[in-house]
Amino acid sequence: MLIFSASDKGGTGRSVTSANLAYHRAMAGDDVCYLDFDFGSPTAAAVFDVADARQATEDHGLHAYLIGEVGEPARIDVWAETEHQVLRFPPPGSGRLVLMPGDVSGGEFATSEDNLHRCVDLLMNLSYEFDLVIVDLSAGRSYAVDMVLEATAQPEMSEVTARWLVFHRWTRQHVAAAASLVFGKRGILAGGVERGHGEEELRNAIRFVRAAVPDPESPLWSQVSPTQSAWMRKTDGDLKQLASTHGIGYSMVLGSVPLEPVLQWREQLITDEDVLDSQIANQETWQALSRLAGRLTDDKYWEPA
Amino acid sequence: MTAAPVHPARSVLACGEVRTCLLPSLQALDIRAAAQLLRLRADEPVRLSERPSMHALSPAMLTGVDCRLPSSNGSKVRGVGTVAARAALTEGRLLQATAWFSVPATGPDLRRPWGQYLVRPGLVEPFGKLPEQATADGVLRGAGRGELDLGVIAEGLLAQLRRHALLDRRVPFKSSPTRLRWVARREPAGERASLTSFTLAEAGLRTMELRLPADVPAASAAGLCEDLALHDWLLTTVQHMLDNSRLGAAGGPSVIETLQPVVVHLLHLWMPRAHVDPALAHLWDVLEERPGFSRQWENLSRRIRDRLALQAVAAPQQALSDAR
Repeated sequence: MLIFSASDKGGTGRSVTSANLAYHRAMAGDDVCYLDFDFGSPTAAAVFDVADARQATEDHGLHAYLIGEVGEPARIDVWAETEHQVLRFPPPGSGRLVLMPGDVSGGEFATSEDNLHRCVDLLMNLSYEFDLVIVDLSAGRSYAVDMVLEATAQPEMSEVTARWLVFHRWTRQHVAAAASLVFGKRGILAGGVERGHGEEELRNAIRFVRAAVPDPESPLWSQVSPTQSAWMRKTDGDLKQLASTHGIGYSMVLGSVPLEPVLQWREQLITDEDVLDSQIANQETWQALSRLAGRLTDDKYWEPA
Repeated sequence: MTAAPVHPARSVLACGEVRTCLLPSLQALDIRAAAQLLRLRADEPVRLSERPSMHALSPAMLTGVDCRLPSSNGSKVRGVGTVAARAALTEGRLLQATAWFSVPATGPDLRRPWGQYLVRPGLVEPFGKLPEQATADGVLRGAGRGELDLGVIAEGLLAQLRRHALLDRRVPFKSSPTRLRWVARREPAGERASLTSFTLAEAGLRTMELRLPADVPAASAAGLCEDLALHDWLLTTVQHMLDNSRLGAAGGPSVIETLQPVVVHLLHLWMPRAHVDPALAHLWDVLEERPGFSRQWENLSRRIRDRLALQAVAAPQQALSDAR
């Protein structure tokens, strides 16, 4: 299965959440491949703590592959190459976790016939090899988004299940922007239909993920004044209303990730050690990520809304 | 006046790379479909054999090259000529592509008309003297940017075949492709071929060094390497499936679902030496001695059958206790 991670704006926690989902699925026993299509600002290497391995693969990453400069994109075996103390020892029975890094120097580029073929070949071959392929796309209606829309519309790829996650933060602007990224005139849906996707089919393959959502009931806010507390509840309710009028209400949401200080300050994977031993991360965050990871392949959550 | 006659250069080194993967098709292809898939050229037939196992071998395709030869020490030697590539399909299930070339110790310092390279398929001539050791090491290590990359040629052929309209582009189970890079040093004719090393390197990469008498064609070495790569792929793939320590445990994948494809698609593929040139077949003995390919395979297949047998014993008991 292919999962495409998109967002309208930067800073929505798209990359870091996607990487955490990949990590959860690999720990659960799936063979997972994570592709950094965030050309221009690849961050995955930092999240997986594979900076040194990243250096060694400089200039033969995904970008160089897609424009035909190298025959194959570099692969980094995260369990083997990470400098993270906990990731080095995945639990027994874990699947593979492979990162295909982008190129630091690689910017955006137009989709040509050749790039497209290479993209299709890559996605097909990875779908033969991995249980789950997570593709992190650059923010907005970028070339990366166009290219994978075009690639997945090719008849060769009709047998491969592809699903979309659209990440947004829990604010008025972000809710509106995420809705417009999908349903807008130049949105993913319109772009997909233009390239030969069926509208209903594509719509049913898209779900939203609310990131960095502050929970008014959380102990984090237990010290705020009654007025502040009431305001938070009201705003939260208004946002839910707003999301629903924009067509991204409850039935279109795959899950939400609570506001997590660890993720706000440092883009990283949250391990069980962070939650249980050092307790720097919240149990709720861990559970939310774990739920979300499970729902990626749970058809119940992908039935027509 | 005619140009000086071109002597067929005696090669000192043959290098190649084999890629092995599962054919993206839910059902194995029968022999007719296999022949159709591998018909890469209209003028040359696909070689088919049905005994002792079904094997289809495509005609060799040539790729013209003019670029730096791979090198481990930074020596920049330009090579011109043709790389041969072919595909093989075993039991309609496992697809392989091999690219290879031979290279003589020295070559002329200027490029000749293409026609002269084309009459010697699979030969790449160095400009000047060949740094033999550095080139061999370079091939095994993998080509750098701008160097002759056998992997790209083999992968290109695989990509072309995987797009073929005969295939439904679905796989019965997930598996990783493997790469085997090999170099063969030439020995005087009449010597016995020998295997110098066979190494498992990082993720799915294997390297192999051979000594090959001058009277054995490089294509035969390619055939041996395809056979080894195929069996190594089988070991690697089945081992990976059994390695999952949660197999059959609560919350882990089910034994039947995981092992069923192995029984249906893979167990019968083990047939070492079946399609290897008799002059090279004895090289298998080395690997049978150590690490013991067939020994490991027997062990793996016994484990699979035992797991499934246990499952079969447990199932009626479970049904009985459920009924009570």
